[in-house]
Amino acid sequence: MGVQTWWRTPTARRYLFGYTLLAPAVLYVSLLVGVPFAFSLYLSMSDASVGNPVARFVGLENFKAALENATFYTAVRNTLVFTVGAGILKGLLGTTLAFLLLQPFKGRKVVRALLVIPFTLPIAVSVLGWKWMFDSQFSVINWALSRLQLIGAYGSPDWPVWLGQPGLALFSVMFVNVWRGFPFSAIVLLAGLTSVPPEIIDAAKVDGTTFMQRFRLVIVPMIAPILFIGSAFDTVFTLSDLSIVYLLTNGGPDAATEILPTLAYNTGIRAGALGRGAAISLFLFPLLLPAMILLLRTLRRRQY
Amino acid sequence: MSFQVSDNEGGTRMTDPRPAYVDPRTVGRRGFLKVAGAGVASASLLTMLDARQAPAQIKGTSLRMLKWSHYVPAYDVWFDDFAKKWGEKTGVKVRVDHIPHLELPARYAAEFAAGAGHDLIYFVGQILTGQYYRNLIDLSDVADNLGKKYGGWLESSKSAGQVGGTWFAIPDFFISIPVLYRKDLFASVGMGEPKTWDDLRNAARQLKPKGHPTGMQFSHCNDANHNWRALMYCFGVKETDPSGQNIALDGKEMRESLRFAKALYDEGMTPEVFSWDDASDNRFLASGVGSWIHDAISAFHSTRITNPKVFADTFCIPEVAGPAGLKWNVGEPNVWAIWKFSKNIPAAKEFIQHIADNQKEAMEASLGYNMPFLKEQYKKPMPYLGKDAKLSTLQDQEKINAFFGHPGPMTPAAQEVLTTFIIPDMFTRVARGADIEDTMKWGVGEIRRIYAKHKG
Repeated sequence: MGVQTWWRTPTARRYLFGYTLLAPAVLYVSLLVGVPFAFSLYLSMSDASVGNPVARFVGLENFKAALENATFYTAVRNTLVFTVGAGILKGLLGTTLAFLLLQPFKGRKVVRALLVIPFTLPIAVSVLGWKWMFDSQFSVINWALSRLQLIGAYGSPDWPVWLGQPGLALFSVMFVNVWRGFPFSAIVLLAGLTSVPPEIIDAAKVDGTTFMQRFRLVIVPMIAPILFIGSAFDTVFTLSDLSIVYLLTNGGPDAATEILPTLAYNTGIRAGALGRGAAISLFLFPLLLPAMILLLRTLRRRQY
Repeated sequence: MSFQVSDNEGGTRMTDPRPAYVDPRTVGRRGFLKVAGAGVASASLLTMLDARQAPAQIKGTSLRMLKWSHYVPAYDVWFDDFAKKWGEKTGVKVRVDHIPHLELPARYAAEFAAGAGHDLIYFVGQILTGQYYRNLIDLSDVADNLGKKYGGWLESSKSAGQVGGTWFAIPDFFISIPVLYRKDLFASVGMGEPKTWDDLRNAARQLKPKGHPTGMQFSHCNDANHNWRALMYCFGVKETDPSGQNIALDGKEMRESLRFAKALYDEGMTPEVFSWDDASDNRFLASGVGSWIHDAISAFHSTRITNPKVFADTFCIPEVAGPAGLKWNVGEPNVWAIWKFSKNIPAAKEFIQHIADNQKEAMEASLGYNMPFLKEQYKKPMPYLGKDAKLSTLQDQEKINAFFGHPGPMTPAAQEVLTTFIIPDMFTRVARGADIEDTMKWGVGEIRRIYAKHKG
């Protein structure tokens, strides 16, 4: 008998079989994530416009153009404030809500079902509702505050202009994101909390732990994988959320609420400068990447 | 050999009825037949266009068109019915899609990338003719025919429809943004009809303490782009040179208009204007609070319905003059265009002609909103406007009409300046107390950067 060819060895066959099984997943991820990402990279290094199919390679020119734009820095700052601020608020509110929903009370199932409404409503509809509530003249929030004599009447200096004052406008768009997202956080947490065996909690109680100790030392470590996945999703969704800002303020006034997705959309699609729009949107990538690596590495460590 | 003749702008027109000069020494028998045949075909087409008989070739075809959802919903109802009836008459199966106007640019980007979509498209506000002209069909034959039939096109229509002297889009109508003011409130401070921006400022200064401020958007919305440009142009500001290639904003006129806006804000407005969208001023006027606004006549119509008492005292003037007597009104243009990949170019062209021929009906249906681009369609009394004592003032609007980029055309660079809201942001900064020179440095720098990118 001759020498056995390498690909007929058991090891090679095992590898081949393994990679064959893996191939559909690799192909799937490549097509869904890799191709669009590579296309974004291509666009960001070209002078492509919406109406000109023939694009020239311009190297890092579009990234340089973004860095020369003063509004870009405002957008980066706002994006970070928006993402981190909304993330913290959603975490706090979501956790509180999850614990409340864990308690037995009459109509708990109905309340749990109602909670998902903000998350399931079409975003355009719910944001338009908020736009009315933040209206400078007919805001129901302002009218309620005025009736309670917490602020003056319409036209008085302390009448809040929710979408017009720089700090308040950023808070308002962040608030709507929190309103829409915190039920999701609560549901994710609730799923985690219900998976914690009650006997472990009872044992911790017998050991004399306080609620905060049980939460920090028993519950959080046990539901950490769920928390990390939830946080990862929430960070990605918040960082790339265009709709709320676009519909409420379109980045105004004077870039007070400008975030990277609105700047990229207005530059790339509305103004037609696809290359520069793609470059601006790719700045989201270095913002997201460290957060994702950190979360996924921590998650992997905890699995062992 | 082709049958082409030069027009007076140096371009060529495939269907120009004028005979081409052909050197008899170079024409053979076949050449003669070709030239003569082309001449007869062109003459027939023009005769047909003049008589408005739909060509038989479009019968049995289908036409998909994309439009925005008009500010006057009744107009869309009328338009859909109009298109349907035209389809029945010509044997064309018509489908009209309406989407919000802010979604149109994204839709066109997608259609262009896919190389498929609607047969007949529409640009509104953001005029994308300059972006897409390489992929749009030359509509010069339609434009020339309509121009000839209706006394020529307004000068501003070239900015909306032409690129390099060729018509790649056919202007349909523009939305005028006049001044709507409360006659009773102006009278209460001893003022009559405002004639100048100074009159408006004086009125606001006196009426704000009485609970009737004024307002113009200092935010990222369409009206902010129109209104502050109207003020700028009335103050003599030129956004670009007539070629549209070089910016001309950096002058004393721009500084004066910023200074004026700051005073107007301080004396006559409240901070709510920083949060306004396109409809906020409508509500502001209809609520009875606003003393005057600078807005399309939708505000006039909505006040008629929601607050008849206020409406009785609301009047309309086309525009007020700047310090040197200049008057420019910045409107919102609407144009038709046809993709090169359109599956039904003949029907699309035919429909454009048909709607232009029925502009009177369209204007009536839009409650005077749709201002024509063709000179003869300004014959008084104009539909709807001519019958309304208050709106009849708008019948001379064509004389003061301008668009963004003025006096240059709406180029892709001007478009980017518009969509990134640099001009409203300059006014916002100054209104909030920023130094005018610092603001000019920032704004002009940003605009220069954009123009440099488009040139490069």
